[in-house]
Amino acid sequence: MNMRRLPSVILLAVIMAVVAAPTVAADAAMDPKAAEVMKQIDAAEAARKKAASVESEWTTTGKLIKKARAAESKGDYDKALGLAKEARLQGEIAYQQGASQSELRIPAYLKY
Amino acid sequence: MSGHCDGGLRSNIEPNCLEKREIMKKTLNKMAILLLLGGVVFTAQATTPEEDRAAFVKHYKFRFPDVPMEEYPNGAYAIDKIGRENWEAIEEFPPYEPFIDEGQEMWDTSFANGKTYKDCFSDGPGVASQYPRWDKKQGMVITMALAINQCREANGEKALKYKKGPIVPLLAYMAFESRGQVTNVVIPEDDPRAMEAYEKGKKFYFTRRGQLNFSCATCHVQNTGLKVRTEVLSPSLGHTTHWPVYRSKWGTAGTLHRRFTGCNRNIRAKPMKAQGEQYRNLEYFLTYLSNGLELNGPGARK
Repeated sequence: MNMRRLPSVILLAVIMAVVAAPTVAADAAMDPKAAEVMKQIDAAEAARKKAASVESEWTTTGKLIKKARAAESKGDYDKALGLAKEARLQGEIAYQQGASQSELRIPAYLKY
Repeated sequence: MSGHCDGGLRSNIEPNCLEKREIMKKTLNKMAILLLLGGVVFTAQATTPEEDRAAFVKHYKFRFPDVPMEEYPNGAYAIDKIGRENWEAIEEFPPYEPFIDEGQEMWDTSFANGKTYKDCFSDGPGVASQYPRWDKKQGMVITMALAINQCREANGEKALKYKKGPIVPLLAYMAFESRGQVTNVVIPEDDPRAMEAYEKGKKFYFTRRGQLNFSCATCHVQNTGLKVRTEVLSPSLGHTTHWPVYRSKWGTAGTLHRRFTGCNRNIRAKPMKAQGEQYRNLEYFLTYLSNGLELNGPGARK
């Protein structure tokens, strides 16, 4: 290689790297799986909060969300997605449970 | 025309009469539904605290006909013979005794301002039978633990934590000094908010929650005497008489609200805040059920 051209080549390489970096990051951000995971985690968190609003949150839901976030941060999107979906389902069932218990119901086995 | 509406074959009855019969039938049906609904509402909501207590007494008397009422303050050991033998052996050298001594020291020690607990609890330390009580001025249920912290804060001291730690010895000493007193929760009639708090406590007790979908009643009414793993499920009568409790599982003594928290966690329901409104109201309801039973705290449990 012509040594005179070396600085130009390095400069070009740097420019390409700078130009390419955001593109690579954007590609990662655009990863449809990652986006789906975040969407599911947000939905799970919303479902958990909705259950809590009727004093019916389960102890397991928050733990699942935490695990989903950890899996997402490690790039294990499949695992994160499964955990987030389970957490969302739990939050939804817990809310239904709380809503179904809004009235006092004394069970039949307690005879007055 | 109206004279022809009172009988006979359907084909012989005038059309107007048929209409009247249909209207009458519909009206009767509606009345029946209303009566039925009324009955359910009555069962679910219009029971008095004394009717509630009587229903619990009746239930346990039916389930455990040989257990005298005065045994209920001993919890599961009233109905579990093997557990009782172990418990009686533990009670020979009660693990809660050091807590009573420590609590007495706390009781006798002055606050920074020179005052003591005696300035708040003028009847002395043996006042457990006065709690929980409805406080009209504050518009809330006051438990003994809450009264201790209100006393501390009024005297410029920091509030103590409610589940374990320094509040436990003080509660243990006060409970020990109250031994022999009888549970006597009063729901004052001159303040409807007191009954509302009781009803909220009752509602909490019967509400299914957590991933296991259990209510307090699932374990402590429906399945009392059965086992969850190695634990015999205790009756709710007497649940509140013996706190604080030295629990072998904890390796230390803890408060009733710590136990509420544990119960809720066991069924995978997120617990409420210790001494928050929900648990105080639950304590109000639960303690009312034990009216007439002797206070025997502090206690020891597995």
